[in-house]
Amino acid sequence: MSVAQVVRVFALTGILSIGGGRAAFFYEALVARRRWMRVDEFLQDFTLAQLLPGATFSNLSITLGHRLAGVAGALGGLAAVVVPGGVVLVVLAALYVTRGLMPEVATLMRGMSACVVGLVAVTTLRMARPALASARAIAIAAATFTAVGPLKLNTPAVIVVMTAIGLWLNRPEPARHPQGGPCPQGGPCQ
Amino acid sequence: MPVSDLLLMTWTFLWLSLLCVGGGLGVIPEMQRQVVVNHQWVTAREFVDGYTLAQLTPGPTMLVVAFVGYRVHGVLGAVLATVAMFLPTSIIVVLVAEQWQRLRAHRWAASAERALLPIGIGLSTAGVYTLARSALHDVTTVVLALAAGLVLYHGRVPAMLVVVLGGVAGWILT
Repeated sequence: MSVAQVVRVFALTGILSIGGGRAAFFYEALVARRRWMRVDEFLQDFTLAQLLPGATFSNLSITLGHRLAGVAGALGGLAAVVVPGGVVLVVLAALYVTRGLMPEVATLMRGMSACVVGLVAVTTLRMARPALASARAIAIAAATFTAVGPLKLNTPAVIVVMTAIGLWLNRPEPARHPQGGPCPQGGPCQ
Repeated sequence: MPVSDLLLMTWTFLWLSLLCVGGGLGVIPEMQRQVVVNHQWVTAREFVDGYTLAQLTPGPTMLVVAFVGYRVHGVLGAVLATVAMFLPTSIIVVLVAEQWQRLRAHRWAASAERALLPIGIGLSTAGVYTLARSALHDVTTVVLALAAGLVLYHGRVPAMLVVVLGGVAGWILT
């Protein structure tokens, strides 16, 4: 796969992707339509994009671009999804700053912002269902929400504490001897 | 003052980008606290309007930083805010992607995934809460949010169409 092909397809996918659940647009473009990768490869890249810090959509353009065309594909893919939207947003921001105080525009924005709350709520609900499979996962999500949302606690501190708790609760099982019981030191386990 | 403020803004978006766990929505509470309350770069109303415009724009919604950057420091502010939000985390992702085939076999990799996904959901829910507090302030806006949520949850209507029609509905109702 050439970097130019990645940039062209990613730019097109980025421009078409508006609204919640934007990762689905990449799935459609790369797995369903062009068969550039398998479903399991896509899901692996999607998981990585969610786990690492950063916006999921731009992270996904990097992990997918990297798989298709290496580091150059990753950076080209990133630019292809960020630059067009960035230019549009600056134009909208310029219009907003000059016209935003007009009463009709303000009323229109008010209604659209209210609908965006409905949109992000539905997107979050869709993500939550597969991720919150256990009582322990629900408890961690609820505690994180309460701390950062209503309690307005410091987000970095909450992330550090909840990550430590989450890792401890989900720690890997210690390696076990096939007959049960712990592995002997230097024994044949693993 | 403007140059130091520009650098402060760039630095603020850089460290905020590192807090995007499970997606950009999760950093919205902290971002709103920084840009509205602490530094007063935009008002709460402008911030939620900027987020709405970013939802209507192709590409990642975290481009809301370009809106804030432009509002405070013009085109240069928008460019620096965008670079700060996307470049450092992107470098981290490239470095990890290079090693991922090896790292994902590690027994702690599955633990990290199970630990971080619920935290991302909790943070995203807090993001919804923060946006709702700024955007929903009377019966009309609450009804519009619920109606948009129901339509998007059940139907296959494009999100952008729902948001624009909701804006028009709000305009007629007010």
